[in-house]
Amino acid sequence: MQLKMSKSSDKMTAFEGQDLQTQALREKAMLFCVAIAIPSLILILWEMTTRMGWVDELFLPSLSGIVNEFFAMTRKGYAGTPLLSHVLGSLRRVFTAFTVGTLVGLLLGLLMGYYKYVRAAFYVVTELLRPIPPLAFITLFILWFGIGEVSKVLIILYAGALIVMLNTMAGVQSCPKDKILAAQTLGANDLAIFLYVILPAALPSIFTGMRVALSVDFGILVAAELLAGDLGIGYIIQDASTFFNVEGLFVGILMIGFFGVMSDFLLRIIASRVVHWQG
Amino acid sequence: MSKSPIHPVSSLDRQSELENSPAQLISLDRVSFGYSHKRLVLQDLDLEIKQGEFLTLLGPSGCGKSTILNLIAGFYKPLLGRVTHGGEDIKGPSARRGVVFQSNALFDWMTVEQNVGFGFRFQAVSKHERKKRVETIIALVGLRGNERKYPYQLSGGMRQRVAVARSMVVQPEILLMDEPFAAVDVQTREGLQEELLKLHEQVSGAILFVTHSIEEAVFLSDRIVILDRNLGGIAHDIKIHLPEPRYTAMNRVSDAFNQYRTDLYLKMKAIE
Repeated sequence: MQLKMSKSSDKMTAFEGQDLQTQALREKAMLFCVAIAIPSLILILWEMTTRMGWVDELFLPSLSGIVNEFFAMTRKGYAGTPLLSHVLGSLRRVFTAFTVGTLVGLLLGLLMGYYKYVRAAFYVVTELLRPIPPLAFITLFILWFGIGEVSKVLIILYAGALIVMLNTMAGVQSCPKDKILAAQTLGANDLAIFLYVILPAALPSIFTGMRVALSVDFGILVAAELLAGDLGIGYIIQDASTFFNVEGLFVGILMIGFFGVMSDFLLRIIASRVVHWQG
Repeated sequence: MSKSPIHPVSSLDRQSELENSPAQLISLDRVSFGYSHKRLVLQDLDLEIKQGEFLTLLGPSGCGKSTILNLIAGFYKPLLGRVTHGGEDIKGPSARRGVVFQSNALFDWMTVEQNVGFGFRFQAVSKHERKKRVETIIALVGLRGNERKYPYQLSGGMRQRVAVARSMVVQPEILLMDEPFAAVDVQTREGLQEELLKLHEQVSGAILFVTHSIEEAVFLSDRIVILDRNLGGIAHDIKIHLPEPRYTAMNRVSDAFNQYRTDLYLKMKAIE
């Protein structure tokens, strides 16, 4: 009798377990639908407001108008330069600045995290620079490095490097003490501990820093291109604004958003592969 | 080493073997330690650990059990007195003294195999020998089939097995264990204790074990040292005679076991 009862209760739990699983799956599907439905709704509303003439096209162009403008740009280019050149010009600036900035930030961050004296040496300078928006330096950079490519890349590089550096330093310092002690009792010397313990322990922080830096880099890119030059997505935004080409302005804005999202997505995939043990 | 690998000897043989072995492995000689001279944790402590001995430190919280372990590991330096290993002063951590932490301190970015084999990176051991020893010890702690898994894919008990294997595979002369099984459930804990005894039998070397559990201490140890509170030093030094092999479940319920437990319980109560 007792055996029977326990058996049936086992069945119950198994059944409930399955139910919970399908429930969880259903909830996931619902969340996905909401995530897709709301932006779609916004797009439909957008198109409607402009079609119905509720809002002046000068303030908010129609979606179809923006799409048309985009295709027109791909055919004719913008301001005499092919659209692809504008895009590649911007991406090259971000990519160069981000790569070099990450390397510089990584190196400084590792040194600062590991050596107390390096940290002390840089402490006041970094604490002073940290609260200053990098854009505050932009005209200074133009003054120092000219109005060309160098000052643009350098200002982006500086902004990203600072973020990567601070995150790397925090990552190195957050390495659990017992892991370092464990490595020592297994015979590891300082170099081995740095390579096999401290550096991998800091990787999650480093990737977080890189992702933040990349998104900041895109922001600085647009600002730098707004200010000077005749090439890049930022230039399109600035130039289109001057001529009240609101559709062109939107094309520029959406392109920045697109490339920002895509590059972050890429970085996130790389991060989840490299630091797979994190969450 | 005073112990030959794999030997089903009786408890008396084992105790007399330890008794007759003159070889002191670790020695604390009038050791005082504190984070400052005003607040000492240990005062004038003498303690000796013999080769191959399984010694457990028991005592109320804050009596300095972990401090002793950290001094022997070389993580701390004594304010006064000497801590020696084979007659030489301990100057810092060394591969001759393994440590298992309560937190397991595994490297999350390495597989079970890589974690266990980590110590060999710093030893002149051939690749073939290295592989063989890693394989053997992984089998010994019952983790075969999990070689390529990462720590986050393992249960708490399995992680602690990896930590023990990682420290033992390089054959330290003493393994220091600071409440290594405190964070796992009771059943897993008993399994881990039995495996530790089996490993201790096969891998020569002493073990210094720190725990709060009287049962754990009796089940595992050749000798138990109870520390007094308030810098009182060693309150009791008790040898444990239980039938070999020590890891049998009978040893947890025998009269002898219960007697030791009662005796230790009363002694601990008297201190608190």
